[in-house]
Amino acid sequence: MRTLREMGIATVAVYSDADRTSLHVRMADEAVHVGPSPSAESYLRLDRILDAARQTGSEAIHPGYGFLSENAEFAAACEEAGIMFIGPSARSIEAMGSKTAARKAAIAAGTPVVPGTAHDIDLPQARQFGHEHGYPILLKAVAGGGGKGMRRVDREDDLESALRDAASEAERSFRNAEVYIEKLIDRPRHIEIQLLGDRHGNMVHLGERECSIQRRHQKVMEECPSPLVALHPEMRAAMGEAAIRAARAAGYYNAGTVEFLVDEERRFYFLEMNTRLQVEHPVTELVTGLDLVRLQVEIAAGGRLPFSQEEITWRGSAIECRIYAEDPYNNFLPYPGKLTRLTRPLGPGIRLDGCVYDGWTVPMEYDPLLAKLAVWAADRQQAIERMIRALREYDVGGIRTNVGFFRQILEDEHYRDGKLHTGFIEEFFERQGPPTEPEEMRAVAALAAVLHTAGRNGHTGEAAQAASSAWLTAGRDALLR
Amino acid sequence: MKLELTINGTANSFEMVNPAPDCRFRLADGPETAAQVEMPEPGVYSVLVGGRSYDARVEETPGGLVVVIDGHRFEIDVRDPRRRSRKAAGRRGEGAQEITAPMPGKVIRVLVQAGDPVKAGQGLVVVEAMKMQNELKAQRDGAVVRITAREGATVAAGEVLATIE
Repeated sequence: MRTLREMGIATVAVYSDADRTSLHVRMADEAVHVGPSPSAESYLRLDRILDAARQTGSEAIHPGYGFLSENAEFAAACEEAGIMFIGPSARSIEAMGSKTAARKAAIAAGTPVVPGTAHDIDLPQARQFGHEHGYPILLKAVAGGGGKGMRRVDREDDLESALRDAASEAERSFRNAEVYIEKLIDRPRHIEIQLLGDRHGNMVHLGERECSIQRRHQKVMEECPSPLVALHPEMRAAMGEAAIRAARAAGYYNAGTVEFLVDEERRFYFLEMNTRLQVEHPVTELVTGLDLVRLQVEIAAGGRLPFSQEEITWRGSAIECRIYAEDPYNNFLPYPGKLTRLTRPLGPGIRLDGCVYDGWTVPMEYDPLLAKLAVWAADRQQAIERMIRALREYDVGGIRTNVGFFRQILEDEHYRDGKLHTGFIEEFFERQGPPTEPEEMRAVAALAAVLHTAGRNGHTGEAAQAASSAWLTAGRDALLR
Repeated sequence: MKLELTINGTANSFEMVNPAPDCRFRLADGPETAAQVEMPEPGVYSVLVGGRSYDARVEETPGGLVVVIDGHRFEIDVRDPRRRSRKAAGRRGEGAQEITAPMPGKVIRVLVQAGDPVKAGQGLVVVEAMKMQNELKAQRDGAVVRITAREGATVAAGEVLATIE
């Protein structure tokens, strides 16, 4: 929305019941209600979204991420309705949207892929795969991501029940029970390439992002450049070219990301392609100095890429932390609820994208993502220090967040050495428990609690003797001002 | 003047020797500490101890007070010893545990019933919210006095689901 404002383009927000007071509604020029809180009755209703566009006379729709952003049917419906879909063609979404179809396209383009099946499998086929490639293997949903419909299998005996569970979870999450199979790579790094193509056949890569720090197969920290690629810079061009080849094979244009797994020998394998802008795009924007949303809009309107591959430069280092309302020390239990206080980090090199404001209530109907906090600095070490500083300034009250957890990770030696892989968080918890506080701090906390109770109860009760009358009165006066 | 506090689940005594703003106090068996305290904003306490500066923000939640200092979180319950329940009297560090819903959700399963003995860490009630199931556990050994949670019921944050003693 900020980019559209800068471009002088009017914005329309669509919202469900739960999101009536969400920041995007408040920022937009117009807003249209699209249904009750459950996504299936609002944000996933193609008809309602299109109605909202027609009713407001909108010329284009930016699908964001999640929901309908990778829905080929929706992109096609927009095309038919004469409304510009800011993204790739419906055909290329289809080609790359199904994991198995994407694998096929990548193989055809000569891009290395993780050993696996190019089609959904049944139990006998799964057994056969296990015999040929050995265990461990990974069952994955053909139609989805985010860790849903995914099961690791270490032994053939576990295969039958794992397949059943994966299929039913996939059915519930994506309305498609198809499951395919891949060889599981040990301690892989998740490194992805940002692509940008116009409708005149030009395509460039904007470098890589490392997104290995994940929980429940969801990314929580991302950075650009990847610490591995920083040590082996030739990987960027190699992966970039492989990504472009795969995307071109699908006739892709606009913004998209090709995800790779990188093994311990630095071999990279095509994992999947995301046919949309991604949550973590800010780290690429910070390091390349580009506004990807602006470029998306210009491309959708028929513009050419304003630069060639050689003109793209990467400067400095950026890190992003996804701030969630959850308790990492209690299995990442979500914490919906009302924000009672908010102090945002400011100062040089800070970028905060989010929908949070003081007094907002985190709805329980959706993912508890509050904001994306990104920092840029001259090198990775300084970016780490800057992020720690920013997290210290980021004060969110009333709900629990993972801010303290990120601070611990950023202080961690393995993280600082760039020794990342997708099992990082699990291993981290084996090394570290929740942060312990200094004894004196604990005592001060106790004192504050006692004084607060005294102030609340006025001049009665035991706690009242904790503070002099004058102090209590002065405090209450401050509260009443 | 002595108070009883529970800090992040652990019981501590607290003694205020001299009142604010020039406090002298003692937490449990710790040293007597001098602290200069001001309240620059409502609910915010600027505490200076031996020249060290602490900024403590206090939030009131359904489950008690939460004090946050430099990102560290302390859940603190301040109890007046004279109003302590008779059942808990004489048993230091113990007393009724109320198991509350940490957030709005739905009770999926109740794992115990009134009268059952429970051990610290044992699962009592499973609540679902935001597509995740979470098992609420007993903090200390005891016995179930009362289960107020009903399977299938929607609960609000802070709602008491079970009482253990």
